[in-house]
Amino acid sequence: MAARRLPFRADPAPNPPRRRVRVTFDGKAFEALDGEPLAVALLAADRPILSRSFRFHRPRGLMCSTGQCGWCECEVDGRPSVRSCQVPVRDGLVARGEHAWPSVGRDLFGWLDVGSRWVPPTFYHHRFLRPRSLRKRYLDVIRGFGGRGRLGNGRAGEGRTRVAREMDVGVLVVGGGRAGVAAAEEAAGRGERVAIVEAVAGRTRPAHPDVRVLDGAAAIGWYDGVVTAIDDETLWSIRAGSVIAATGSYERVPSVGGADRPGVMGARLALALIGEHRVLPGERPILVGETTDLAQIGPAFANAGVRAVGPVPTAALLRVLGRRRVSGAIVEVDGRRRRVAADVVVFGDRTPNLDLPLAAGAAVELRGGVLEPVLDDAGRTTVPGLSIVGSAAGRVTPRSGPAVAAPTGRTLVCFCEDVHADEIHAQVSTGYGDSELVKRRTGALTGPCQGKYCLQSFCSAMASNGARPADLPTTRPPLRPTRLGDLVTDDDA
Amino acid sequence: MNLPRTAGVVIVGAGIGGLGFARELAARGVKDIVVLERDYPGAGATGRNVARIRRMQLTEELCRVAMACQDKYERMGGELRSNVLFYRLGYAWILYDPSEVARMRDVVAMHARLGIRSALLSPQDTLHHLPIFEGGEPVAGSVLSDDAIVHHDAVVWAHLDHLARRGVTVHPRTRVIGIEQSDGRVTAVVTDQGRIETPVVLNAAGGWSGELNAMAGVRMPNRPHRREVLVTAPLQRSIEAAVTFYRPSEGWFNQTLRGEIVMGTVDPDEPADVNQRSSWSFLQRTATLMTRKAPALRDVTVIRQWAGMYDITPDHLPIVGPTAQLEGWWQALGWSGRGMLLAPYLTELLAEHLVTGEAPAMLSQFLPDRFPPTAEERQLETDYYSRYTPGSGSVSPGTTSPPGSPASTMTSSGNTTLRPGA
Repeated sequence: MAARRLPFRADPAPNPPRRRVRVTFDGKAFEALDGEPLAVALLAADRPILSRSFRFHRPRGLMCSTGQCGWCECEVDGRPSVRSCQVPVRDGLVARGEHAWPSVGRDLFGWLDVGSRWVPPTFYHHRFLRPRSLRKRYLDVIRGFGGRGRLGNGRAGEGRTRVAREMDVGVLVVGGGRAGVAAAEEAAGRGERVAIVEAVAGRTRPAHPDVRVLDGAAAIGWYDGVVTAIDDETLWSIRAGSVIAATGSYERVPSVGGADRPGVMGARLALALIGEHRVLPGERPILVGETTDLAQIGPAFANAGVRAVGPVPTAALLRVLGRRRVSGAIVEVDGRRRRVAADVVVFGDRTPNLDLPLAAGAAVELRGGVLEPVLDDAGRTTVPGLSIVGSAAGRVTPRSGPAVAAPTGRTLVCFCEDVHADEIHAQVSTGYGDSELVKRRTGALTGPCQGKYCLQSFCSAMASNGARPADLPTTRPPLRPTRLGDLVTDDDA
Repeated sequence: MNLPRTAGVVIVGAGIGGLGFARELAARGVKDIVVLERDYPGAGATGRNVARIRRMQLTEELCRVAMACQDKYERMGGELRSNVLFYRLGYAWILYDPSEVARMRDVVAMHARLGIRSALLSPQDTLHHLPIFEGGEPVAGSVLSDDAIVHHDAVVWAHLDHLARRGVTVHPRTRVIGIEQSDGRVTAVVTDQGRIETPVVLNAAGGWSGELNAMAGVRMPNRPHRREVLVTAPLQRSIEAAVTFYRPSEGWFNQTLRGEIVMGTVDPDEPADVNQRSSWSFLQRTATLMTRKAPALRDVTVIRQWAGMYDITPDHLPIVGPTAQLEGWWQALGWSGRGMLLAPYLTELLAEHLVTGEAPAMLSQFLPDRFPPTAEERQLETDYYSRYTPGSGSVSPGTTSPPGSPASTMTSSGNTTLRPGA
């Protein structure tokens, strides 16, 4: 397999035409197109492994391209753990893989994964007590295995401060996608003072003149009813009569073994790669899932001259094969297991982005294995003044499909911390099955994505053990990882 | 797990104080110990701290206690057969005011007398040992010691596993709703899961201990204050000490064994309240202060913030022991931000006190009745209770419930059940 670049179409041609620039990754220089995301440039240069997982150094690559999963984190120009899908390439950029030796592509520590079965979470809490004289040495070694990035010198953000500002509006819409804009325009039509917070600059252009857009402002918290957001100049705290979460959805990685291998990616990313970035992610794609995104991806591959297998239902995907990248998949067709050769697995399933409602304390429940908000007919959550529209409201996966099965065995529940389903079950069986304790004892939900990609399977795994959905672990701010330097205000602390 | 109907000792709060006391009582052969927890074990301050175990204190008295406390932690892993990740990371006070440097000379000399390894470092040596401060606000010096950190969750689990082996049951998600008493003695604990008769109760409820004391009509001067913390994505080992600075603004940070940097700053105007909610102003305040002191921290990524409580007493020393206000009502509270350090050792002394009937000498500075209420306060409380217990001469002093709330009800047995104000 190899990802490769596709020719840009005459219509619409990139304007101005993209310049070729030189970028360095792990000491090797390669060509990229000026302004494209670093992670895309690396994929196009056939460098699918961008990072290594924290515990077992499993290879990870570009999966979602929304800046939320953290699988593409690299050191970029001396700054640690930067999500490379969000970094536009420029000439002379220097990036480096983290948490690997000698390199993320060939990481000797990757062998740890082979022995993962014998290294349960927090195993060191019961070991390394003898001999007494070596206790500190043991911990020194464990400390050496921790950490990811290297602490930089802080020069990149030097002297940069933001202004803290407050804003009062009648209606605040978080998320400027289709559903958010529609909700904002509807409210503006009623004469409300409306603002939209949208993290992706330039994406939101409401037709109604009275809808204010905080362009490029990412919502990062809900603090006692005040929504906070951060853009290039400002730290916003926004009070609103009502808040509408139109935060969309996250990719729902299939709950099967090997689903974190480089080459497994969300359908939206695959569409953007082919359509926008003109990078073909692989020659032998297999499509998995039932959503509308998948209806577009087959023709997109076909236009690039590649025939895709599927789509097969999510439940039919049993396993993704390949050690360093996807080499195939095992699927069940007509009751028979088949091995399909593939170099990219495109999945369509998504799960509502409930970050804001969960931070606000809104009730959610598992429906058919999918974590969804509890809403009344008007889309209101259980938190006064907070409602949800669009795919965040939970209409992502068609209900007709079979329930999403709870993860079992060696299937990963939490990707950041490499927590397997059987480790969750084992912890519950110790008698301390409270979800808060399971979270702490296994490390599930505590990594850099803070549960965005694992809360649902964590809850499914817990529910299959009889835990109540009400026992959901607390969601803590900020809603997305934020540089400490980006939170600096110019007023004296 | 059904609650027993009777118990020898009921411990309210499965934090480090309650679990430590349970462990020490069990070790002394006490049977029928029941631990109640309103949430999950370690849900309060015990699970919301960074577990610095330091001997280096400012006064000789406290240094001596802290030395015994650190020894206890050093032994804990072996004793409980569970690694609590005791690690001599190092500990540093960073000084910004030259006058503080002069004062620290005496402190370091006192440390040396006691056998605590600490040193006063020049600004150059400070930056050499802690290059994280390079390029930041100029430091005037620092005091560095070889003190340790542990893993707070590991400490909780070590206790839980140990207690399970000893047959002591911890009841999570069990809320105390009332305390029954008779003739100045505690007789039973009423919970939302049932009632337990007991002659001895330990209040180890941390930030909620004031609420619990109010139910028992016991008055103590501890008040909870929120303290906030943020955590960064893990980084390679780069900060070789847990650091704290007090003046001109109070803040601290250190790197965990996993590589995350935990840090916090203190809002001097934080009001007394049961409050574990995170705030936006904390993030801004901490980012601004920390990056001014240590510019390299600009690049670290905040992945989560949380809040816990310091249960603070007027003299910033914990309240550990029985009280004359109510017989059978024991206390291990008011840790004032030092619970993780002090509780395992002080609850050992407390267990010794309960079993032998005599307070060990080391405990004397922590005994609860060192804060006698003023005559005026006593009168106010007596007036307050006389409204609910007509004709009764023996009323318990003290509550924090506002007048007018139904603070007490008569039970069929004639005992008084006190509930917290609505």
